[in-house]
Amino acid sequence: MSERRLDLAALAPASFIIVCAAVGLRLDSYPQYVIAVAIISMLVGIALVLLVGLGRCITLASGSIMAIGGYASTLAVADLGVPYLATLALAILAGGAAGWIIAFPGTRFRGHNLAMVTLVFQSVCIILIRQATWLTGGAEGIHVPAPQLFGLTIASDRAFLILIGGAAAVMTLFLSILTRGPFGKNLQAAAGNEIAAEAFGVSVRGYLTAAFVVSSLAIAFAGALLAPRVRILDPDSFGVLESIFMLAYPIVGGMHSVWGGLLGGGALRIAPELLRPVADYQELFFATLVIFVVMFFPGGLIELIRRAAGLLLVDSLDKHFDALHAVDAASLRVPVGAIHGLIGPNGAGKTSLFNIISGFLDADGGRVAFAGTSLLEMRARDRIALGMTRTFQNVAIFGQLSCLDNVIIGLGRNAVVHAVATSFDQFAAGAATQGARRRALAALASVGLAGQARARAGSLSLGDQRRLEIARAVVSRPRLILLDEPVSGLSESEVEELRNLLIRINAGSRCLS
Amino acid sequence: MLAELGFVVVAGLKFGALYALAALGLVVVHKATKTVNFAHGAFAMLGAFASFLIVVNWQWPYWAAYLMIPPAIGIVAAAIEFLILRRLRQADMFTVVIATVFLGIAIAEGFRLTYNTELLAVPSLFAGPPFRVAGVFVTRDTAWVIAGALATAFACIAVFRSGRLGRGMRAMAANIRGAQLCGYSIDGVYMLAWFLGGALAGFTGVFIAPVTGVSVDLSIAIITAGFVAGVIGGFDSPAGAIAGGLLLGIAESLAAAYVSSAMKNCISFLLLFLVLMWRPQGLFPEGSGRSV
Repeated sequence: MSERRLDLAALAPASFIIVCAAVGLRLDSYPQYVIAVAIISMLVGIALVLLVGLGRCITLASGSIMAIGGYASTLAVADLGVPYLATLALAILAGGAAGWIIAFPGTRFRGHNLAMVTLVFQSVCIILIRQATWLTGGAEGIHVPAPQLFGLTIASDRAFLILIGGAAAVMTLFLSILTRGPFGKNLQAAAGNEIAAEAFGVSVRGYLTAAFVVSSLAIAFAGALLAPRVRILDPDSFGVLESIFMLAYPIVGGMHSVWGGLLGGGALRIAPELLRPVADYQELFFATLVIFVVMFFPGGLIELIRRAAGLLLVDSLDKHFDALHAVDAASLRVPVGAIHGLIGPNGAGKTSLFNIISGFLDADGGRVAFAGTSLLEMRARDRIALGMTRTFQNVAIFGQLSCLDNVIIGLGRNAVVHAVATSFDQFAAGAATQGARRRALAALASVGLAGQARARAGSLSLGDQRRLEIARAVVSRPRLILLDEPVSGLSESEVEELRNLLIRINAGSRCLS
Repeated sequence: MLAELGFVVVAGLKFGALYALAALGLVVVHKATKTVNFAHGAFAMLGAFASFLIVVNWQWPYWAAYLMIPPAIGIVAAAIEFLILRRLRQADMFTVVIATVFLGIAIAEGFRLTYNTELLAVPSLFAGPPFRVAGVFVTRDTAWVIAGALATAFACIAVFRSGRLGRGMRAMAANIRGAQLCGYSIDGVYMLAWFLGGALAGFTGVFIAPVTGVSVDLSIAIITAGFVAGVIGGFDSPAGAIAGGLLLGIAESLAAAYVSSAMKNCISFLLLFLVLMWRPQGLFPEGSGRSV
């Protein structure tokens, strides 16, 4: 079956970096230098997305981690004569160890205490580097020898660009795979709701420690790439201010996706080069920019871009039932991350519009596009694969099945052939079935129905049945959930609970996409 | 030998009193609003800078600085609460920490751009021979800083303990909904807490200006020391903040005198680490059984 397929989306950021480097090769040497350092910042941005965006850990130690990578590599080359490529691995080891050391006290705290622990680490590291003059050259810095690769000396801007682009692309691919895979999702779960995560076997401290280790090893790797590029390594280039500005990368770019870190790192590193005449104001500008982003655009640049594109586009849609013109040139645009309401009196055609969008009715004219794919020719049951699910006005749960099974069906992959195969897998309690059960339980917990997993769905109250429908709709981690009259027949307190639930789901899933 | 120790302790007390004042400002804001203001050091730096303007640039008398700067910084802080943090009240701690970290940077950079110098010196308050207390020479400035900063800190605690203002803030800290039901306005109390925190930062700035001079580094130095002192004291206890500040000041001074100057920086981090790991409620927690 076509289940085994490379996740091409994970390759895209690495490919983008290679394209950047390739474009740079055709330019002059100064732009080549700028692109090389920007690529390093992109890598740092992506590494921080994992820790700051998914793990929601604030780190003010990135500068020192970069310094650790840079010094580890440089000292090994200069003092021990280790080949440069091997010292990259050494930098990764040193960075990972440093991340583990921060995480040891760091993961016990969140918020301001964690910020302070990382600030402590940062300051102590820089003090130690400055004091250990015999090893590091102290505040004066040390000269970084030009890297030797397969007998070639990397000295020209062009050669550096090739080396940095290639190495950064490999690390980016590694980070993208982790971010997009179950590791990233569980990390988000651990950071979002510690109790629920622990209940489903996600060790919060374990995941946060891993996030520190992974992001630190990538930042140290970036430091080892940067060191020969800047030629002189000194502790003051990796101070607290630098750490704070690195923290700005994922925030400005968008904390919840690899692209956000890439965009933020690239943009914030290139901007000062373009704005040389007003370079003095760059720190003030960056700090103000971050406050502005935090206040008004918490999704960062990437979300602005996505929002401009729109997730669901309905364009002059028409539907006639004989003489009745139920839907008359309806148009709407739902941006990513929005909760969009459709209101109107009875018979206004809301449900008709709804059914056309979700594929249960054919339209007479007009256009419906979801994330760029036209929907009208597509069957209702294929739309779940695109990341679109719905609930029904008259609750459409499977009354005879348990709540858990209702939700497992919501995972999709319900083609008959596949279901027959899974049945045998389930008999043997195979991995696929276990995974499905875990995800379904997590979805039930998120709507507050974890206790009723075994109960027959038909025995639930109407309010709980609606929650169950929502659990079934969210379990496949869709990008768009269509809720048809979600509050009809609910009591006032149930309406309020449902409202909060939807806001929570929206806030949580915005990060997925 | 003993005289040297006495000298070292007095020097520690001087910085300790300043740290105590900085920590107290952080604690007051945290107690009432549950946010840690990472821009606090920058506020204090603004205060120090303002005393440079008043005393050096405009040649006004020193008492004018003590009178004008704390309320001025308080108003700046309250305005920032109103303009920026009020909008983030629904957001989690993560977002608030990020916002105040970058706020501090913005303020410090604004200062650096106005006065592009490394260090602005502010003259000392008193001329005249030092006092001799039990065989230890104490300059008039040192005595003034220790006495003045501690007096300010205790005055602030008195305000916090009694009076409508302090009651409102403590009520808010204990139970937001309950305090609202009793007629305290969240907006009012939050702004007041920020005003008070800002005023304390202003005092810290005025007291510290002649001691260290004014530089961009002051911002991070004060927030770090104030935070560590606050953690040592147990972040919600104003009296603990003062004790924590003094303890930290003396520990730094001893480390610098008897180990090495690098150790002076490391000791505060060591203390932070030890307290957070083994006694997260602080050495001087307020009350008992409070959830941390």
